[in-house]
Amino acid sequence: MSDQAIDRSKLPIRRPPFQGVVNRTLDGSQPDWNFIAPIPAPKDAPNVLLVLTDDAGFGNPSTFGGPIRTPTLERLAEGGLKYNRFHTTALCSPTRAALMTGRNHHAVGFGMVGEFAGPFPGYSANLPKDCQPFPKTLQGNGYSTACFGKWHLTPDNMQGTPGPFDRWPNAVGFDYFWGFLGGESGQFDPVIIENNTAVGVPEDEDFYLPDAMADKTIEWIHGVRAHGSDKPWFAYFSTGASHAPHQVRHEWSDKYKGAFDKGWDKLREETFERQKQLGVIPADAELTPRSEAMPAWDSLDENHKRLYARQMEVYAGYCENADWNVGRVIDAIDEMGELENTLVIYIWGDNGASMEGTLTGTFNELTTLNGVPLTDEQQLQLVLKWGGLEAWGGDMMGPHYSAAWAWAGDCPFQWGKQVASHLGGTRDPMVVHWPEGFREQGGLRSQFTHVIDVGPTILEAVGLPQATHIDGIEQQPMHGTSFLYSLDDASAAERHTQQYFEILGNRGMYKDGWWLAWMMPRIPWNIDPETLKRFAPGVWDPENDPVELYYLPDDFTQARNVAEQHPEKVEELKKLFWEEADKYQVLPLLAGLTGFFGMVPPIPTQSTFTYYGDVQNVASGMIPRIYNHSYSISADLEIPQGGAEGVIVAEADHLGGFSLYVQDGKLKHTYSFCGVLEFRQESDRPLPAGSVNVRMEFAADAPKPATGGEVTLFVNDEPVGGGRIEHTVPARFSGYAGMDIGRDNGLPVERGYADKSPFAFTGRVKKVVFDVNPHLTEEDEQELHDHAQQALAGHAINA
Amino acid sequence: MSDDQKDVVIAAYLFDDLAKKDFDAVLKLAEDKTITVEGVVLVQKDDEGEVHVTETGDHLGRKGAKLGGGVGLVVGLFAPPLLAATAVGAAAGAVTGRFAKHRLESGIAEKMDDALPPGSGGVITVYDSEGADSVDKALANAVKKSVAQIDGMSAKKLKAGLAEAQAGMGG
Repeated sequence: MSDQAIDRSKLPIRRPPFQGVVNRTLDGSQPDWNFIAPIPAPKDAPNVLLVLTDDAGFGNPSTFGGPIRTPTLERLAEGGLKYNRFHTTALCSPTRAALMTGRNHHAVGFGMVGEFAGPFPGYSANLPKDCQPFPKTLQGNGYSTACFGKWHLTPDNMQGTPGPFDRWPNAVGFDYFWGFLGGESGQFDPVIIENNTAVGVPEDEDFYLPDAMADKTIEWIHGVRAHGSDKPWFAYFSTGASHAPHQVRHEWSDKYKGAFDKGWDKLREETFERQKQLGVIPADAELTPRSEAMPAWDSLDENHKRLYARQMEVYAGYCENADWNVGRVIDAIDEMGELENTLVIYIWGDNGASMEGTLTGTFNELTTLNGVPLTDEQQLQLVLKWGGLEAWGGDMMGPHYSAAWAWAGDCPFQWGKQVASHLGGTRDPMVVHWPEGFREQGGLRSQFTHVIDVGPTILEAVGLPQATHIDGIEQQPMHGTSFLYSLDDASAAERHTQQYFEILGNRGMYKDGWWLAWMMPRIPWNIDPETLKRFAPGVWDPENDPVELYYLPDDFTQARNVAEQHPEKVEELKKLFWEEADKYQVLPLLAGLTGFFGMVPPIPTQSTFTYYGDVQNVASGMIPRIYNHSYSISADLEIPQGGAEGVIVAEADHLGGFSLYVQDGKLKHTYSFCGVLEFRQESDRPLPAGSVNVRMEFAADAPKPATGGEVTLFVNDEPVGGGRIEHTVPARFSGYAGMDIGRDNGLPVERGYADKSPFAFTGRVKKVVFDVNPHLTEEDEQELHDHAQQALAGHAINA
Repeated sequence: MSDDQKDVVIAAYLFDDLAKKDFDAVLKLAEDKTITVEGVVLVQKDDEGEVHVTETGDHLGRKGAKLGGGVGLVVGLFAPPLLAATAVGAAAGAVTGRFAKHRLESGIAEKMDDALPPGSGGVITVYDSEGADSVDKALANAVKKSVAQIDGMSAKKLKAGLAEAQAGMGG
C-alpha cells in the first residue's frame, strides 16, 4: 500500500485490500506481499525523544542562568533552540495529561492529580477514550514507542494486579513501559513497574533510578534498531527528578558544597544577572521581590543556614545527575548516527519548583501530607536522628527542601508549583534540537507556547495527522497549536494567543500578551482544614479574590501589576476566563478538593482483606485502610521445628510503616509514625512449631485522625504481649513504598533487621487477613471517611 | 563545690564546630564564675554509637588533661565506661560500677542514652541547677538538649569515689 493510500487518521489502520489473486490452488494465484507488511511510518519520519523533568524551576538550570550545571541541556540548546515562554499547567498530572493528549488538562479529567479521582468531569483522573494520547497515533502509524520513568496518569485505585489496565501506559500508546505509575518514587528503592506488572524493588545495592532509567532507554533504543532497521521510535523520558524525595549520591551533591552558603536572596540576584547576560530574559526585566511568606536569608540562625544550604546542594546534585543521564541517552543516539534526524524536546519541569516542603523543608515529605506539625527545632532533631546533614539526600531520609529555595529556583518570577496564576508556577525552560529539521543553532524563541502544543508539534513534525478516530471512538480535536512554525522563524507572530490556567483555585488568563493573575489567597504549602475552611462552598466567592494584571511584552517577569490602570482589560479577561472554564470542564472550581468540603464517595463496604501466599508490592495507595481506627492483622503460619524468623507482613519503611515479624523466636511488631516516633511490641515467649495463628490487634483510643491506641499480640488466640502506640499515621505511610507478605522489600520498617533485608520468612505464611471493620457508630464512620477523603486530597496536592 | 542540686545536660549538635563554640561558652561561664560548673566535656558519637571524648574543661574553666572530679562526674554520668580511658585510668572498675548503678537508679540512663544519636557531636555539662538559664543560653547552637538532675549529695559521693580511684585507693 502506498503511503498516500493510507488513511492515518483512523486508528488502528484498516488492513489494506488484498491486491493479489486467489485461486483454488496456488496454481495461478498471485501473492500480495504488501498485504502482510506492517504499517510503515511516514517516509523519513524522525525519531522523537521527549524529555520531561519534575518539579523544577525556570531559574534552576545553567542553560537558563541558574546555578545547576546542565551540560546536556546546554549542548542541545547550542545545537538547537531555547524557548523562554513555554508554559505548563503548574501541577504534575495535569501537565502530563496535557502533554500526552494535546488537550487542556481539565478537558481530559486532570484538573487534579492521579491520586485523587474526583466526582466531576474535569477532575475524574480518568483519561477519556475520545482524547487518546498522541503516542497512540505514533504507535498506530509505524513508530516503536516507549515510556521510561514517571507516569502519574493512572488513578490510584487502579494500580494493582486486577487492573483495569486501560489507563496504564501500554494501553494508551506505549509498546513498552519501565518506571513507576504514581507521582513520586524513592530513587534508591522504587517499586518498578514494567509494562503491566510490578516487578518490585531492585535488590542491587548500587541501584539508582535515574541511572537505571537511562540504561533501560538506551537498551530499548538499541533493541528497536536491532530489529527494525528503518523504524522510527518515540521515547518519553520522564524523570522522577527533581520531585521529592530529593535523593542523590554524595558524588553529585558534594560538587555543590558551599555553593549555596550565600542563601536564596543572593542566589536569586546572581541568577537574575546571568539570565540577562544569557539573553533568556530581556535586558529591562525586573526581578520580582520575595514574598513576605518567606524569611530573608540573613534572618536565619547558623544551624538553619547550614541545613538549608545542604538541602539545596542535594537538590542541585539530583538535578545535575538527571541532566547527565539525559546526556547518556543523547550520546547513545549520537553514537548510532541518529541524532541528526531525532527531534529532541527537552522540557525542564512539569511545573515550577515545588514549595511543598514548607518553609523549613522536611526530612520526610510524608510528614507534610500527613499533617504532622513539626517545628523548626523538631526538624533539626529529626535530621540529627536519621544521620545528620550527611544523610540528607541518602536513603535514610525522604527529603524536600525549603519553599524559599523553590522560589529562588523560579527566578525571576513569583511563586512556584501549584500557583497557576503566576509564571513561577507555570513557566519552564524548553529546548528543541533537530539538526535535520531546522537550520538555526543556538537561537532563542519567545513565542507563547504551552504544554498542550507539544503533541500537535510532534505530529506535524513527523508528518502525521491528528487522529479523528481511535478504536472506533471519534476523537475530540486537540486544543494545542503546533509550534513547528517557530523553528525556522524567530520573528513569526505567535499562533497560540490565548490560554487559560487553573490549578486548585489559582487562575490565570493569557491573551495577546496580557495576563490576568487571579490567585486564590492561600499560601501554597498550607493545606490544613482550617485554611481550607475559608474556601468552603458558600464562604468563598472567587470573584472577590484580588486580581493582578500584567502586560508581558513590556513586563517579562510579572513585576508590574497594572490592574488599576486597565480595569476594562481586567473585566475582559475575567469574563474570558469564565468562558474558557465553562468550555473546558474547569468548573466547579476546587472540585479536586471535594473531600475537604463534605462531598465524599460512598463508604467502602469491604472490611476484610485476605492475602494468600507471598503477595508482594501492593501499591501504597491500595493497602487496606487501617488508618485512624481499630484493626487487626491475623496470619496463619507454618513454623518448622527449630523455629522460623522473618517478616510476616510489612508496609513501607522506617519513615512510616508497620511490620509484623518474627525474630529471636518471638512475634514482634514495629510501627513507625512518619519516622518521627517508633513503637515496638513483642511477645513474651517464643512461637511454637507447627501450624500457628498470630494476630496483632490495635484498639484505637477513639476513631479519630492519628489516634493512639493499645496493641495486643496473640499467638493461637492467647495474648502474649503488647504495648501502646501514641500516634498513628493518619493518611498514608508512603508515597511509593509497597506492602509485602512474607518479606519486607525495599528499605525495612525495622532497622533492627536491616542487615537481613528483605528478611524473608523462613517458615511459611499461608495467609494474612486484615480486618479493618472498626465496628464504629455510623457517625464515627462517616467522620473518619470524611477525614480520609481530606487526607487523600491533601496528599494529592503534594503529589 | 556546692552541695545544691545539679543539672546534667546533654546537648546534641548537627555541626562539630558549633558544638565546640558552645563548649567554650560554657567553659567561659565557669572561668568567669558566673555559675557553678562541675565540668564540661565535648564528645563525638561515631556511626557505630561509640562515644569519644574530644575535649574537657573543669570548674575553673581550664581545658585539658588534668581532670578533676567534676569532669569525671560529667563523663561518668554520661558514659561510665569512658571513665577508664579519661578520668581514672586502669583503676576504674568499682567506680565505674557506682556510676552505672546511679544512672540506672536515678533514671538518668534512660534520659541520656538516646540523647546523642550516632554520628553527632555533643556537649555534656554538670552545673548547679540555679545556673540553668545561663547554660541554656550558652548552648545556643544545640538542636536538642536533654536534662536530668542529680542531687548534691550523690554528686559528692560519686566524686569522692573518683578521687579515691585516682589516688589508687579504690578500685
